[in-house]
Order: sequence, then structure tokens, then C-alpha cells
Amino acid sequence: MTRILAIHSFRGGTGKSNLTANLATAIALKGKKVAIFDTDLASPGVHVLFGCSPQPGQCTLNDHLQGSTSIHQCVHDVTPEQVKQAHGRLWLVPAAMDSDRIARLLREGYEVEKLNDAFFELSDHLHLDYVLVDTHPGINEETLLSAAIADCLLMIMRPDSQDYLGTAVAIEVAERLDVPAIRMVVNKLPQHFDQQQVKDRVASSYEVPIGAVLPLSEDLLTLASGGLALLTFPTHPWSQGVHELADELMLRVLA
Amino acid sequence: MSALVALEPAGLRRLLKGGLRRGLSRDDLAALLQNEWQLDWDSQEARALLQALCDRSWFQVSPDGMVWKTRLS
Repeated sequence: MTRILAIHSFRGGTGKSNLTANLATAIALKGKKVAIFDTDLASPGVHVLFGCSPQPGQCTLNDHLQGSTSIHQCVHDVTPEQVKQAHGRLWLVPAAMDSDRIARLLREGYEVEKLNDAFFELSDHLHLDYVLVDTHPGINEETLLSAAIADCLLMIMRPDSQDYLGTAVAIEVAERLDVPAIRMVVNKLPQHFDQQQVKDRVASSYEVPIGAVLPLSEDLLTLASGGLALLTFPTHPWSQGVHELADELMLRVLA
Repeated sequence: MSALVALEPAGLRRLLKGGLRRGLSRDDLAALLQNEWQLDWDSQEARALLQALCDRSWFQVSPDGMVWKTRLS
């Protein structure tokens, strides 16, 4: 049975899309078949991490949501060589980067349940083990749907007061939607922060288990979403943290 | 979907959430009605509840009557 993992943050700049792409890669490196849906339709970006930009004539999620294009036509194989060697597969359903398409979707909207059906139709078609849903920051129809249907909601935040407050709102919404499992991920933790203090503060603030505390990394800043940190810096503490998070999710939370 | 978050009571949210993903089979819906609302599938109250949701176009049944899906857009 396909497991759905929704990745969300209340505010932008938390590293959500970067984490989504790398977490999907970590899972696929375990020999799994994984698809990522970029449902951040207003500001898509996951495709950049895979060096995949839909060319004219190639379909995106927008074509499915606002047209009659089958979701099968909107999926792109982005499997890195290392994942192929591990017998895993990685697909991406990208969102359109064209400003006209984005404006049209924001103006006209779409039936959000069509997105729901797309997740399961693709899961059946590709026999997926996991679907990772990269959501738009904040509360909107896509994030609410993703939370409602997810087997696990991953809340990404930085150790920042605005993130603490906003994340509380998102967790309250998730609890009203009876999300089976929620895990917190604190990303971009500066080196001088006490990791245990941050863990304790997050745990006491939300009473939600901590999935990972990931360091702020100069190497990732230099990479600047130009690739997958997990493959470029495989022994970096950030990459190791993502691998541990993947193991926790696969072996315990989503098992 | 924002309508789903705002709905009360919690049982109604769970009912409509159950109609997402792959939808609810007739057996799953009957079990949910019993667990959340203590309603038998054949009861007048159950029929009225499902009809009210259908009238609002929040809940749809497949032509063969075997799958119930949520539509909140």
C-alpha cells in the first residue's frame, strides 16, 4: 500500500522543498519507488533540485488539474544514477513554472479533490511505495487536502519565533483533521544553538515527536539548490540526519 | 477543504475525511456511521445524514452505489 507523506511549513524559507527532494532520494536509495508531487503551485521549485525543467510540450500538474491531461503524462522520471544502482526509482510531478500558467491557476482555481484522485491514480499506475507531497507554505486548500489524506505530516520549521507561532496553528489544523502521525523537523539550526535546548522547546511547545534537528550548513548554502545535498555531500551531518529521518519514517512511522 | 476543517462535530469531519483518498466502500461507511454516530446503515437517521451531505454536493456515491467520495470544492 502506498504511504503518503505531506511535507509542510507555515512560512517560506524553511528548506521544505530541499528537504522533500533529499528525503525522497534517501527513501529511494533504500530500493523504494517514490514520487514527489510539487503542489506548491504558486511558487514551484522541487524540479530545480533534480535539474528537471519541463520543456514546452511536456506536461505538468497544472495540465492535469486544469485540463484533461492524464496524470500519467505529467510524471517525469528523475531517478539519479546512485538510486538506480540501489534499485530504487524516483519520479516527479512538477508544477508549471510559466508565469501565465501560474496566474491562470490562481485566478481560475481547480477542484482540489482532483489532486486527491491524482495521488492514488499515479500510485496504482507506478506501484509506488511512497508519495511525498511538497506543499505551499501556510494554510490553503492544497495543504489542507495533503494533511487530510497523509499518513504522516512532516512539519518543517526553523528555530525562529515566527515559525514557532505559525507552526502551532498548522499543528492545530492537522489535529482537527486527525492526521495519523505528525513529526517535527527543525531545519537550519545555527551551530551555536544548543540542540538539546531546541529539542526540549519544540517538544514542550507542540507535544509532537521530533523527527529530526538538522544543522544550518554552509555547504548547502553554497550548493544553493543546485543539486541534491544527499548525493553531493553524503557524509555531511545534514545528509546523515536526513537518512536517519528516512529510516525513522520508513521503519516506524509509516510501517 | 477549509470547510472540512471548520465542520462540527468531529464525527462529521471524520465522515467527510473518510470520503477522500480512495473514498469509502459501503461497508466502511456503514462501520463509520455505527462507530461515530451509533447509526445503523438502514436507519432513517443515517439515510437523512447521507442525503443532507449529498444535497450539499459534499458527498457523492458512485453509480454502482459501492464507493462514496467527498467533494468539498
